[in-house]
Amino acid sequence: MNRRDFFKIVGTSAGAVAAAGCGQAPERILPHVIPPDNLVPGVPAWFSTVCRECPAGCGVIARNREGRVVKLEGNPDHPVNGGTLCIRGQAALQGLYNPDRLRGPIQRDTSGERSIKWEEAEKFLAERLADLVKQGRGKRIVVVGQLESGSLGRLMDAWAGALGAERLTYEPFNYEAIRHASRLVFGRDAIPHYALEDANAILSFGADFLETWLSPVQYARAFTRMHAFRDGKAGTFIHVEPRLSLTAANADEWVRNVPGTEGPLALAILKVILDEGIQAPGVDVALLRAAAKSADLEAAARQSGVGSETIKHLARAFAKAKPGLAIGGGVAATGADAVECQVAIHLLNYATGNTGRTVRFGPDSAFGKASPHAGMVALTQAMARGEVEVLLLNHANPLFTLPPKLGFADALKKVPLVVSFSNQPDETTERAHLVLPDTHPLESWGDFSPREGVVGLMQPTMGHVVDSTGRVFDSKAVGDVLLSVGRQVLPAPAGKGPFRWQTFAEYLKDQWRGIAREYSPATPFDQFWEEALRRGGIWKPVGAVPVQARGAPLSGKPATVEGDAQGLALLAYPSHRFYDGRGANIPWLQEAPDTMTQVSWDSWVEVPAETAKKLGLRGGDLVRVASPHGAVELPAYISDSLHPGAVAIPIGQGHTAERLRYAKDRGANPIALLSGQAAPAGLPFLSVKVTLTRTGGRRPLAIAQATHDQDDREIAQHVGLAAARELELRGAVPEKASHPSMYPDLKYPEYRWGMAIDLDACVGCQACVIACKAENNVPVVGKEQVAYGRDMHWLRVERWQEGKPAHPENLFLPMLCQHCGIAPCEPVCPVFAAYHTEEGLNAQIYNRCVGTRYCNNNCPYHVRRFNWWDYSSPTSRSYAFPEPLPLQLNPDVTVRQLGVMEKCTFCVQRIIAAKDAARDEKRPVRDGEIVTACQQTCPTQAIVFGNLKDMSSRVAKLSRSARGYHVLEELGTRPAITYLKKVTREPHKG
Amino acid sequence: MTIKVGVGVLGLTLLAGALFLALSTRGQAAGPAQPIAFSHQIHAGQYKMDCQYCHADARRSEYAGIPSVSRCMGCHRITAADRPEVQKLAGFFNKNEPIPWVRIFKVPEYVYFPHKAHVRAGVTCQTCHGPIETMAVVEAKTGQTLANDLLNLVGLARTSTPLTMGWCVECHTTMNAKNKTKAPLECAICHH
Repeated sequence: MNRRDFFKIVGTSAGAVAAAGCGQAPERILPHVIPPDNLVPGVPAWFSTVCRECPAGCGVIARNREGRVVKLEGNPDHPVNGGTLCIRGQAALQGLYNPDRLRGPIQRDTSGERSIKWEEAEKFLAERLADLVKQGRGKRIVVVGQLESGSLGRLMDAWAGALGAERLTYEPFNYEAIRHASRLVFGRDAIPHYALEDANAILSFGADFLETWLSPVQYARAFTRMHAFRDGKAGTFIHVEPRLSLTAANADEWVRNVPGTEGPLALAILKVILDEGIQAPGVDVALLRAAAKSADLEAAARQSGVGSETIKHLARAFAKAKPGLAIGGGVAATGADAVECQVAIHLLNYATGNTGRTVRFGPDSAFGKASPHAGMVALTQAMARGEVEVLLLNHANPLFTLPPKLGFADALKKVPLVVSFSNQPDETTERAHLVLPDTHPLESWGDFSPREGVVGLMQPTMGHVVDSTGRVFDSKAVGDVLLSVGRQVLPAPAGKGPFRWQTFAEYLKDQWRGIAREYSPATPFDQFWEEALRRGGIWKPVGAVPVQARGAPLSGKPATVEGDAQGLALLAYPSHRFYDGRGANIPWLQEAPDTMTQVSWDSWVEVPAETAKKLGLRGGDLVRVASPHGAVELPAYISDSLHPGAVAIPIGQGHTAERLRYAKDRGANPIALLSGQAAPAGLPFLSVKVTLTRTGGRRPLAIAQATHDQDDREIAQHVGLAAARELELRGAVPEKASHPSMYPDLKYPEYRWGMAIDLDACVGCQACVIACKAENNVPVVGKEQVAYGRDMHWLRVERWQEGKPAHPENLFLPMLCQHCGIAPCEPVCPVFAAYHTEEGLNAQIYNRCVGTRYCNNNCPYHVRRFNWWDYSSPTSRSYAFPEPLPLQLNPDVTVRQLGVMEKCTFCVQRIIAAKDAARDEKRPVRDGEIVTACQQTCPTQAIVFGNLKDMSSRVAKLSRSARGYHVLEELGTRPAITYLKKVTREPHKG
Repeated sequence: MTIKVGVGVLGLTLLAGALFLALSTRGQAAGPAQPIAFSHQIHAGQYKMDCQYCHADARRSEYAGIPSVSRCMGCHRITAADRPEVQKLAGFFNKNEPIPWVRIFKVPEYVYFPHKAHVRAGVTCQTCHGPIETMAVVEAKTGQTLANDLLNLVGLARTSTPLTMGWCVECHTTMNAKNKTKAPLECAICHH
């Protein structure tokens, strides 16, 4: 017996004794009684539906394993998002499986709250409604809900109509200034479709189209097509905004203006175009001249702080683009002058011949159907007067999204019955008398039309969520509740009456008979329906409708901002991660850093460096931000680039609802500082000046990246446009001299997996970060650990900047395991947990790992992540997956335990699956068959994965690109990831 | 010296005890009690039913799959419908309840064992699951158990396949050498 066998026996006998002592219950395997059609355990099934995290309405396909959805991907056939998703779309899964999700209907009164049965709740509501309807007081019932542009919206209209109730569509960001301007200029009450991809130059006045504006995934895709060097067009993008937002950071030219001067600037640009006669031929010059009558170039230059030469340059660059595209939005364009600004933008597009080409009325956006903000103001007043007796809220959280000054909270107290259909315990739902939790969109039937000519169809991608203890999240679709309550209020014989459908699914199918007649009259309906379910909806091309421009008087005055004359203008801007705050309780979104600041888990006030110096502020110092309407306290983030006359706070944090475990008491809500009075452009997010006072307290922010200065390390590289063109012409640069290595050259018999990342296409949106977390069961660690540098992201998006700190060139670099050919991590592992596979992966074998962390210390890219705490065991204090979050875990990936190292695997489970499918057909894996999670979701398709040994593969071609380089090439690690340099445009002098 | 003797004595005592334990449990039908006394010996042995008739997912999924209750009832609505054990089956079916079978074969959770790839490569079920067609009650002692190790040491035949990593790798290497197959030996194929 050798030593090894001896220890084996001693070890196992100890184990046997321990095991015998426990007497574990046997594990059971439960078969289906009757198996569902086409569902095989262990084989994913895909269901198409629509993402409802914002009204952009992207198509989604949900990966269902053993009856639970484990991953969302974009629907490749969908015209809006073409297979990709944004960060919020990826994170929708944690809304479905949110541990704070309501478990069933709740009734609340003065005696407290209790759960009730659905029948009881519906009967209670129906009786109250019936009383009002009988008394002819149906008008005192108000339905307020998020934008529903499909069958549910029509049902709500019909329901409100039958009961005589009022109905409002409430979206906190409704872009009504654009709609208003369209009405004034073109006589069309609509928000047009913007064809960014067809423009040669984009002139954006604050429109954050890479973050939240209208349809961020669609516009990010379109933007790359017009802008990326890769696609040949390499158009120009000019962005006017006081703050260096993510969108501004992607601009070739970022013009920093005084907050609220977008209107005068746009008008001055129009005037320059007219004065220089560079407008498009055939436009009505007299009309334009009349509109630009009050424009004054020098005054605009003075007010905006943008030099008159720059304004002239902008005008020329825009006019010569043919077609160009001017857009406006974001917080800066929701000031008091927002309508004027949008009118000027419409006229700019008209003057340069873009209307009908890049600005298309016809395929109008669904946002044009949202009610104006004035509706909410009127509702609040009616509630305060006691004129509303039943208020039904469908996914609306006005207590969070309306300025408190408006008095919605007090008005709500006057409403005898408040009903919320939300399935999250948000601020307004917390105050509702009756909570009837809706099913999550991923569990629901429905449809949504993001623009004319596109109708996405939603189907349940799984049954109702049941946690591991067997408790069902007892939710019911709003449509079902409305039909059932409606029938009780207005009884009718079976199959008759306004609510004759037993379920909302039946109603939906009935509605789709009409859609079928419109879109495809020749196809039998059953076939049409089945195809629509499979495809994810139905769409057809909708051409631009010709529009006639009309004159509109413009004053050319900047927006007025109330408050202390010495104060700074407040920019309260929609959060890229939380939108209007609805995503704040999703732990993935909390942990994902904001790309520009790299802050996670908190909110902050961005203070210009000048002011910070004056107040003696350091980053993390608590600051009291006060406006005439309220005050909030937030840690400071010192910014070199923010306009000295502004401070900025993202919207989305600052939740107060008791049961939001991830969002409660995190940061502050800047909406509290606004007045909320209705302006012609809706809720004016830019309307107050604030004063800052240092409180003396500190709350350091959790910032993932310590510096944005590359310090000459050339981690993220760039090349000028002219140089890039020349490189391209000359063809591939010769193979770089390989750095010497003491290890023998590796042989890869069949495949060598590699990746190419085009930094010119990456916009830093963080969607890949969350896609990776979802695919690979990466735990969420919380603020303290992130601050300590112990976050677990396998993939992070670094932001590097060059040039003047006030006006830097920004470079975004997705950093993940480089799968080095000569990997520093491998030889230092004492137990062979980190090793090189025959296909070029740096594999990490969790069950071998003993946690020495040598590999981590030896990795120059800092991409290895160590499980410092026990994130995987339910009894641990750091458990990252409270019920029902474990349902989301990918069954193809091990959930790592305490004390082991982990990192990017190049989605090895997807490689194995693709190889398995190829072997079924006795062929090698084809190029493009393996798509990693990060690559799959990337809205700009900056990431390409494949076999480097196949010289014809896309990745191999890109790796030989003249723009290609390796990060820290000089270390001789020979990474499998090639980055393609960002292509920068020559800066304008003047 | 005394330490060496001490270790030797301890080892021998453990060896003897464990050997006794292993031998005394050998040969018993030690499988756990199942909710229905299903016999593989009757189905796969006597009637020579194809394994994949019931475990139909083996050729297309990671899991071999347990037959649905309705699949059992496909035959047993008529066949042997009067037997008490089959009536238990009908009971589950009529109550629309799954049968809570006790799991016998299991690899640790950090191991991915795809049935599909093995079926495709022509590996018989018995290679890993043992002579299942002879078992009235299925039993297996898998993993690093004392019995397996001891019997291995003293050169006696195992009671069942151990399903340990060494055993998997041995088969993969042997097959690759003998049949020129390409059974993977990469750690990350099973551990990821």
